[in-house]
Amino acid sequence: MDFNIDNLWVLEIAGVEIWITRTIVNTWIIMLLLSALAIFVRIKLKSFKEIPKGFQNAVEAVVETFDNFVKNSGGEKLMPLGKWFFTVFVFIFSSSISGVFGLRPPTADWATTFALAFATFILIHSMGVKYRKTEYLKGFFEPHPIFFPLNFIGELATPISLSFRLFGNVLAGLILMTLYYSLVPLVLQLGIPAVLHGYFDLLMGAIQTYIFGVLSIMFIRGAAE
Amino acid sequence: MQDPLAFIIAIAHIAAALASLNGILTTLGQGKVASTAIESMARQPEASDSIRSAMFIGLAMGETSGIYGLLIAIIMLFANPLVSIYIQQMAG
Repeated sequence: MDFNIDNLWVLEIAGVEIWITRTIVNTWIIMLLLSALAIFVRIKLKSFKEIPKGFQNAVEAVVETFDNFVKNSGGEKLMPLGKWFFTVFVFIFSSSISGVFGLRPPTADWATTFALAFATFILIHSMGVKYRKTEYLKGFFEPHPIFFPLNFIGELATPISLSFRLFGNVLAGLILMTLYYSLVPLVLQLGIPAVLHGYFDLLMGAIQTYIFGVLSIMFIRGAAE
Repeated sequence: MQDPLAFIIAIAHIAAALASLNGILTTLGQGKVASTAIESMARQPEASDSIRSAMFIGLAMGETSGIYGLLIAIIMLFANPLVSIYIQQMAG
């Protein structure tokens, strides 16, 4: 039974130890695959025609569905952020899928999910300041300046709850799968894990990706409007 | 008490089990959210898309407390601060 984040090797640069963990290596693998896919689509983009067919049809359907999704849940103002959220969606979902192929999902490490949630945190406040300026900053002192600490802590809680939600779900699936693999005899490890992987990695991964994206867009919209 | 370390570990396991118990109430709450959403979808099928997205957000918000309980249980089992404090005191 092993679901720890293993430390694969330690680099030492100018006296500072940098730990290359399994999370980092798996993130690199996923980044490599996604970048290869992106370059492949970019090369194919040159031969795209006016009337979509085959592969072009699939790519356009994905992009259009996602644009509509951002427009519906975030409004016209947040449309420029659609590209960022598409990246986040693809990354979270493909890191959930990587559990099927025996990799340890990078999102089962709080560092990864906190980085994503911290980006949302920065977006919330920069969009709030960009679209509502001083009115937004005034919102921290309402209904009375005495409430400032409470509002401030409430804002800090947003990225923490966002990141823990994703992290806890993925980690729970990982622990249950590891327990299953280490507890049952070999005969039972033949077909049943496929169902469990389908539930914990694919279904839960898709739902959690959706939840993370929708909640981020909602928080940003709440600050921007 | 023969071995204080064993006692600390046993108590930590009981605490992890208690922390996981909050799943009962979380599940009840999520079941209520889902059942109400299905009821309103049956009443107004044309509004089911917006009801569904609101339901997912409600489920996610309700799930947070369950996730916190799970994390407390995991910390109790695998990263327990009390055990390391005890070991440090024994060494020191």
